Amino acid sequence: MKKNMARRGLDMGVHPYLYIAPALIALTAVVLLPLLYAFYLSLFKTQGLNGTFVGLANYISILKEDYFWESTGRTAYFTIVSVMLEFILGMLVALLLNEKFRWRGIARAMLILPWALPTVVNGVLWSWIFNSSYGSLNGLLSQLGLIDKYINWLGEPGIAMNCVIFADVWKNYAMIALILLAGLQTIPADYYEAAKIDGANAVQRFFGVTLPLMKPSILVCLVLRTMEAFKVFDIVYTMTKGGPANGTQVISYYTYQTTFQYSQFGTGAALSYLVSLFILLMAIVYVRLITGKGNES
Amino acid sequence: MKKTLKRTLGLLLVLCITVGLLAGCGSSGGSTAAPSGGEEAGEEVVTIRVMSSDDFAGFRTSVIAEFEEANPGIKIDFQSVGYDALHQKEVTALAAGSDTYDIVDVDCIWTPEYVTNGYIECIDDRLTDEMKTGIAPVAMDTLMYEGKYYGLPMFNDLFFMYYNKDILSQAGVTDMPATWDEFTEVCQQMQEAGLIDYGSAWGWAQAEGLICYYMTFLKGFGGSLTDEEHNPTVNLPENVAALQYMVDSLYETNISDPASVTSDDRMAIDLFSQGKTPFVINWSFAWSVFNDPEQSAVADKVGVMLVPGTGDVKSATCAGSMGLSITSTCKHKDEAWKFIEFLASKEIQKRQAIEAGALPIWEELYTDAELIEQHPALEAMLEQVGYAHNRPSLVWYNEFSDVLQVEIQNALTQNKTPQQALDDAQAKALEIQKKY
Repeated sequence: MKKNMARRGLDMGVHPYLYIAPALIALTAVVLLPLLYAFYLSLFKTQGLNGTFVGLANYISILKEDYFWESTGRTAYFTIVSVMLEFILGMLVALLLNEKFRWRGIARAMLILPWALPTVVNGVLWSWIFNSSYGSLNGLLSQLGLIDKYINWLGEPGIAMNCVIFADVWKNYAMIALILLAGLQTIPADYYEAAKIDGANAVQRFFGVTLPLMKPSILVCLVLRTMEAFKVFDIVYTMTKGGPANGTQVISYYTYQTTFQYSQFGTGAALSYLVSLFILLMAIVYVRLITGKGNES
Repeated sequence: MKKTLKRTLGLLLVLCITVGLLAGCGSSGGSTAAPSGGEEAGEEVVTIRVMSSDDFAGFRTSVIAEFEEANPGIKIDFQSVGYDALHQKEVTALAAGSDTYDIVDVDCIWTPEYVTNGYIECIDDRLTDEMKTGIAPVAMDTLMYEGKYYGLPMFNDLFFMYYNKDILSQAGVTDMPATWDEFTEVCQQMQEAGLIDYGSAWGWAQAEGLICYYMTFLKGFGGSLTDEEHNPTVNLPENVAALQYMVDSLYETNISDPASVTSDDRMAIDLFSQGKTPFVINWSFAWSVFNDPEQSAVADKVGVMLVPGTGDVKSATCAGSMGLSITSTCKHKDEAWKFIEFLASKEIQKRQAIEAGALPIWEELYTDAELIEQHPALEAMLEQVGYAHNRPSLVWYNEFSDVLQVEIQNALTQNKTPQQALDDAQAKALEIQKKY
């Protein structure tokens, strides 16, 4: 049966390509051409969009730059911490929402709210909550008597990054929870029953049954979130603009600054290629993981 | 076969996921061929597209109808964005060589960059004698580079020191602080009396406004960011002293609102307009915000005084005018110039001063009786003009400014001592200078 379908797919000849052509043309125009142009640009020392050919000099000077490695480090920190927290939180929420309880429908619908907020709105919202003079977080903490002096959340390089991560987690854990919830619902109840009969407790059932069967869903959300988190820009732009003292200057923000504030389009293009290289490597690892799993079954 | 197809598709997928980031870089200018609206009796209507900063955009929009009525052949397509997004918006269009905009709003610090990249037109032969002699030089310099002019300033803007008359009279302050040390004393006195929490809030977030505040202190302490040959001199002892004063105001003398480190210059006026601080330094647009009862609790209670100095320096402040320029790609330069000329005219400048609080560019308006009557702070503001300094005019200014912002913030958040921060900034500035 399966073989049959595959054969029929091949027999269709040029048809699949015809159907794919419109999308392919559109992608070529808006993605592939700018991509090639950006690479071309990255080989020039630019003034405006004109410039002199310098070969790989832009790449070399970036790799020697402290700012580049500092912001790469910050981006890695942001990515690892935020994805980890989002995953743990998302998993817990998904497990909870998979249980039967009253108002479950409403709870599930509410889950989607933070994710439905545009990132910019989310950023503005949290920057007001964290605001040191009027922010509700300071208000809450001081009314509870936990702090006697207002804390300048976004004003300390170390704290600011974690505040941005917090805002990002608040919004994005919802997506992970949704995907995981969908994954959870595909696990047949008899597996759990069988495990129970064998005497497995809740924790053992989670690690023995749930987690292995959830692997595809887990991979999907980890892939999506890691790559998105590595490209993070909008929430940093709205909350801290890379400050204080570059404490939240992530790699995309650095690229933006180089390109649009210093008008160094060549260096900017080279930077985005380097960032893309990092992401490409991650993508390959992840895709290997996913397709590797597919071949086994 | 199937395997290779799958592999190709996989690769494509990987590519697609990756490129999202790159797409933003090779930005396309996108030609927007504006259809010339309603043609009148054989005469073609020319559309002039203007990209302006949000500051004073309200006033500019309000006079467009008048201009179009007087010039039936010209239609103005007016767009504005916030200052922080303006440079990017303009540079992406200009660098791509597209004719998206006919007129762009240029901040004084961008002039060298725009001129060397050939984005804006020299207007030397359009300047009238009246303009050459009548417009205040500090404003005219906004769009000057290497002795040539590239547009007209739209207002004469600087940092002014605003004060709250009520709070100061409650505290019994009669002599305004003339030096920064006196300023600290006066603020502490009012804080001890329980009248206020902080003497002032500032826009010291990592943004261009921080450099304007720093310039104000640094010039007040007799320092300078560059020497006469445009070489960076960031770590002069005077500059260190100025930064030390700013740091102390946060942690030693406690006269500055700690939130200053995360507020930009637009947000710095909030506490003052709620009547919570007695002083604030800000641009001229703040005057109309403070006196608008809908936005402020201190309407009619605000005065303008000279920004304090130190021993040898009576007062010093930072200038920050902007102006309009014709782009090199503009196809209707004469019509575009007409609009710029109109906005810069004495009549419109006078109205802009009355309605929007901007200091006019024409020196003769400074003694205009009607204007002085309508704008009570004008005289005090004029006195300040004599103590205004422009930021360095450098092609590499934007990158220099960013390095400075980061290092000043390192000092303001006590990551580094002021001396260390400025030494580091000087080293980086020298590196940047070499690149250009």
